Amino acid sequence: MTTVNSPLMALLMNPAVILTLGALVMAFAPSVVRRIGMLLVLAISAWQLSALGLGNYGELSIFGYDITMLRLDPLSRLFAIVFHLAAALNIIYAWHEKNRVQDFATLAYPAAALGGILAGDFITLFVWWEIAAITSVFLVWAPGTRITYLAGLRYLSIQILSGVLLLGGIVLLFRETGSLAFEYIGLRDADGAIKFSALVIFLAFGIKSAFPLLHNWVQDAYPKSNITGTIVLSIFTTKLAVYSLARGFPGTNELIYIGAVMTIFPIFFALIENDLRKVLCYSINNQVGFMVTGIGAAGTIVLANGVTVGAGGAFNGAVSYAFGNIIFEGLLFMTLGAAMYRAGSSKALDLGGLYKFMPLTLSMCIIAALSISAFPGTLGFVTKGLIIDGIAENHDALYTWVIWGVLLFASAGVLEHAGIKIPYFTFFNTGHAPAKRVFVKEKTPAGMVIAMIISAVLCIGIGLYPAPLYALLPDQVQIADYHPYSAYHIVEQLQLLLWAVLAFAALILLKWYPAEVRSTNLDTDWLYRVPGRGLIAWIAGATRGLWNGAWRIGMHHFERVMSRIYSLHGPEGQMARSWPIGFMALWTAIVLGVALVLAFVA
Amino acid sequence: MTNDHQGGESPDKNNHVNGERDNPGWAENPLFVRVFLLLLLIAAVLAAIAGFIPEFQKKHPHFAAEKIPVFFAVWGFGSFMFIVLVGQHLRKLVGREEGYYDDRE
Repeated sequence: MTTVNSPLMALLMNPAVILTLGALVMAFAPSVVRRIGMLLVLAISAWQLSALGLGNYGELSIFGYDITMLRLDPLSRLFAIVFHLAAALNIIYAWHEKNRVQDFATLAYPAAALGGILAGDFITLFVWWEIAAITSVFLVWAPGTRITYLAGLRYLSIQILSGVLLLGGIVLLFRETGSLAFEYIGLRDADGAIKFSALVIFLAFGIKSAFPLLHNWVQDAYPKSNITGTIVLSIFTTKLAVYSLARGFPGTNELIYIGAVMTIFPIFFALIENDLRKVLCYSINNQVGFMVTGIGAAGTIVLANGVTVGAGGAFNGAVSYAFGNIIFEGLLFMTLGAAMYRAGSSKALDLGGLYKFMPLTLSMCIIAALSISAFPGTLGFVTKGLIIDGIAENHDALYTWVIWGVLLFASAGVLEHAGIKIPYFTFFNTGHAPAKRVFVKEKTPAGMVIAMIISAVLCIGIGLYPAPLYALLPDQVQIADYHPYSAYHIVEQLQLLLWAVLAFAALILLKWYPAEVRSTNLDTDWLYRVPGRGLIAWIAGATRGLWNGAWRIGMHHFERVMSRIYSLHGPEGQMARSWPIGFMALWTAIVLGVALVLAFVA
Repeated sequence: MTNDHQGGESPDKNNHVNGERDNPGWAENPLFVRVFLLLLLIAAVLAAIAGFIPEFQKKHPHFAAEKIPVFFAVWGFGSFMFIVLVGQHLRKLVGREEGYYDDRE
């Protein structure tokens, strides 16, 4: 434990602050040096992280409240590492871009998410939570159209709502516990009743991690950004929320059921969606669902310092899957982005047949697809198995076997929309492709290619040799006994996936696979974009009408009062008449007389 | 128009410049398709057979289903079929024209 007395020092030693300051400085740098500068800032921040080592830093007492701006433990370290990795990959991928504001957000938004990950207390968490919302909206607005402007406002409203709920929950929780430390919260008290304060915070985390029915801001906002913006957006917000759930609510059984629903419903929306970037946004929901289920099925242990933390295979699985997902889902977005960069569209009906022209991107896409589907030998396989096994071992949940079956079903669903639909409709399916493909851009930028290659190497490398990743996981006792490449695990997984691919082949051969359709598919955002918007318009109209009516009535009364005052005091009014001097003398005599009488009586 | 705002340079569907066509690639070669499908089928059958070999079975299964040698194959195939054949009808419920939100925002 290091106590720093100076608030300035406490701020400057924080990697998230280093990144934020770096983003601000680099926003003003000329574009030639900006990207190199951004990578340098990331390197400094990473160096600072490793120099600090595990522990609590930046502990301050502000107005008598204890603030821990920086906590590095195995859980936050894992997320901090992958956030640095992802931010670096994004900067390299977007090397060809020249947009100053977007470049700022590309560094400042991950910085804010990192700050939230490292926060040891709720106030620090809240501050970074809101900064992440504000910095990321610039990415939604990046294309600069009316559509993205409106989508950005909707996105920002929902993110700020989550922040307001978080603040409310913090205040309620502080009243109960008297502590601001961001530790295990738990949804229920000792008697099993739901704590209101915890529920409010749970909802705040739930909005950001896109719980079912609260999920649609992802599909509404993310695909509307430009190519690189969508990739940056896809990573940080939901994973910050996953981290927060892992910190505050491990072993909360409700999360098992919420997560299971999250893995299922996006599969069907992804199936019928023509815009492949939107398909991947549904995939984010589905993937976060696996993590949420794992957090719910986690065990908890109490550390020597009395702090409760998540533990067990499901917990290790949830957080390692978050790590893996950032790499392989990011890679899927990148390969689709590269196809979109050259072909000018991200829609299944506009793409297809690109394998002839982009063989390298195709191979990267297939590696990502195998990885997200959790084929043996990939990053997905060595992390997802932990969650599924963790569920099977969890005996607290009702109907564990149902949840287990659901996750296997959802795994077939991942294979469908992320493992097959993305590569098949982007690179193969020539049914809709123009006879002569005319590219918008002739070459894939080198930065894109390098970022994709690094991601693909990580997918395969960690998949074949998971030890370095496992060494970073929070529960070292559990992972020491875990061997992903056991014979039955490989056979089970290959059966599940190969027979699902076989089903796809059969559906294509039988021509039963549904054709893509250009359409807008309604989801929960419809509620606030159509009836909600109508309701607000109606409320605005009604308020205007009421106000006008009240104003008219008020003005009527006001005018009557004014006219009476005018009739008394106006130039023609009673009080303004010139009175005769004799009348005045008479009144003086009367007043004097009354005074005399009063004096006499007294 | 909800999603198509990326500079609007979508590829021209009717771009048959002087009847030019791209040459078909390896994936459009019927021989490749046949060999690929055959290999896939062999791999899938082998995985299913492996489920019967005791060395490849879980020592302490959590659920009765895990004791069935081909459970994962059946579950994977069935799930995929269900998702595609049943899921596509969701379109009837939520599908609207592409510019649905344009007239409403």
